[in-house]
Amino acid sequence: MDRNVELIRITERPKPPRPEEIPLRFSETAVQELDALVSHYPDKKSALLPALWLAQREYGGVLTPEAIAEVALRLERSYAEVEGVATFYTMYNKQQMGKFMLEVCTNLSCMLCGSYRLLEYLEEKLGIRLGETTPDGLFTLTEVECLNNCGDAPVMQVGDVYCRKMSVEKMDALIDQLRGSDEHSVTRLADAIVNIQLSAADKARIASEHE
Amino acid sequence: MAEYKLLTQHIDVPDFYQMQVYESLGGYLGLKKAVEMERQEVIDEIKKSGLRGRGGAGFPAWIKWNGIPKDTSKPHYVICNSDEGEPGTFKDWELMHKAPHQLVEGMIIAGYATLAKAGYIYIRGEYVECAQRVRHAIDQAYEAGYLGKNILGKGFDYDLYVHMGAGSYECGEESALMSSLMGERGQPRLKFPHAPLPTIAGVWNCPTLINNCETLSVAPHVINNGGEWYAQIGASTKNSRGTKLFSVSGHVNKPGNYEIEFGTSLMELIELAGGVSGGALKAIIPGGSSMPILPADQCQDAILGYEELMEKGTMVGSGGCMVLNEHSCIVTFAWRTAEFYAHESCGKCTPCREGTRWMVQILERILQGKGRPEDIELLLEVCDQIDGRSFCALGDAAAWPVRGMIKQFRNEFEYFIEHGKSIVADRPEWQRMAPPKHYERYNPMRYDYTYGIERALAGKG
Repeated sequence: MDRNVELIRITERPKPPRPEEIPLRFSETAVQELDALVSHYPDKKSALLPALWLAQREYGGVLTPEAIAEVALRLERSYAEVEGVATFYTMYNKQQMGKFMLEVCTNLSCMLCGSYRLLEYLEEKLGIRLGETTPDGLFTLTEVECLNNCGDAPVMQVGDVYCRKMSVEKMDALIDQLRGSDEHSVTRLADAIVNIQLSAADKARIASEHE
Repeated sequence: MAEYKLLTQHIDVPDFYQMQVYESLGGYLGLKKAVEMERQEVIDEIKKSGLRGRGGAGFPAWIKWNGIPKDTSKPHYVICNSDEGEPGTFKDWELMHKAPHQLVEGMIIAGYATLAKAGYIYIRGEYVECAQRVRHAIDQAYEAGYLGKNILGKGFDYDLYVHMGAGSYECGEESALMSSLMGERGQPRLKFPHAPLPTIAGVWNCPTLINNCETLSVAPHVINNGGEWYAQIGASTKNSRGTKLFSVSGHVNKPGNYEIEFGTSLMELIELAGGVSGGALKAIIPGGSSMPILPADQCQDAILGYEELMEKGTMVGSGGCMVLNEHSCIVTFAWRTAEFYAHESCGKCTPCREGTRWMVQILERILQGKGRPEDIELLLEVCDQIDGRSFCALGDAAAWPVRGMIKQFRNEFEYFIEHGKSIVADRPEWQRMAPPKHYERYNPMRYDYTYGIERALAGKG
């Protein structure tokens, strides 16, 4: 299919599912985590960003219309409002990404340190273009704006890890290491972010409720 | 003049992010001293110190601290802005990653001085590694009784939360950050004088103190050593006091964060960072990508200070100092800057949303070798139409660098338009940096609405 037509299809606005139609997929722990996150703010609505991170983890790294509907239901907001927030922020994925998202910074300092050559090298090595996923679903190659580790340029982000001072050799080693890894970088990132927002007391309470 | 290490004094001590090590090196003494003082005395110390906001604007910190109502008819909040997104800046990353307790201590002092109920540290979503350190520090502070109920037996209750962003540069703008904290799209709100100041009606319509991560990290040192002591540092400048972290990156031998006293010269900072690498100096952007560029000849006598750099036509900004050597193409640099702002524009106001896209498209046309002689004037006109007319400072920040680059390096733009290629196009050094030929951003949300969709519908791909 023509690439641009395909892109338009992807960005077509999904139909909001009705609340009664969606199977709720948040696990018991996730619901408790959401309660703990909501308690950090004076109102439920403010927990929308953390809740979307939770949903991204629970739905395997992508905010599907069902995920958005579930967040809307649990926070008592409208589908449109949650969708509006989810589409504003670039770190929420609206489409299924590969198991590992390779996010290469090409902003000013990284550009000066040669990140465009690394991007070309990755495109050639993986056989995909920028924004595409490898056919085996392992790698998605994207370009990001400044990751603010310009002192170690060129920088790239894989899930919750920054890879600094990248070179062709380091890139080869990284790809080999990832191929042998079981982690799912996108959900791993979402999980890390949820855990950062939960205090030690929250985590202890959730653990005790499970016993 | 060498580095003046105040915030970064112990940053290389192993395990400095742990409570024990931090306390053994004088940590939390500032807080213990602060809770013995009257709240107004704490604010007065900040006033004496002459501390100015380190996030970019350089607004005097004490005015914000003092502006919070002295009663608690509404709950008060303190927010730390760690949504560091300015290209070239990585000071907050280092402060949070290596000295998270310093920030936590600053947040508690700010909370005490402003009678706050809770504090929120807004960290950008990508900063997982350092946010984990901050989380760890907060948990340790709760354990040690510096947070929670009845802190240090003074009957002061204060909670600290971490709120993670999700990838939006715009959320570094204070009103957009508050929108984001309230679970909305990160778009700015009406500002003073059209709306009350955040200190009166900020987040959740309550009095809110919002400061940059570095500003809050300074607070323990000001309280510990006294505002007058702090005001002596950098006294050679007009109105900049204390130290500032500059993040030096780009073409230097030793990129990294360097803390210097205000009044140090720009070239000394570059010397600290090991000097220019890969060729002679072409230009420096001293304060992050939003600030106008300084060509090499003007860098020689530039002094780092808010007013001093303003006289040079640029600003301290967030301290993201980017160095370009002689093999860099300014036109491409301008395009990449504009590209960044077009991506990050939140879309709320027309001048910024449309203007940034037009700037990118004009610059892209020049890069493709199809530039027209009138394009330079057109770019300047677009810049004028954005500057001062946008809802928040992002629009200004998009216009200043492009206008600055045209002003300082007009010959390069003219050369590019005339010859259809860069003035440095044939140098191998530049070829290692240049974006690929026929390079196109993949994101369909970017420009396709102006020409891509039509092209796609025509089936031309």
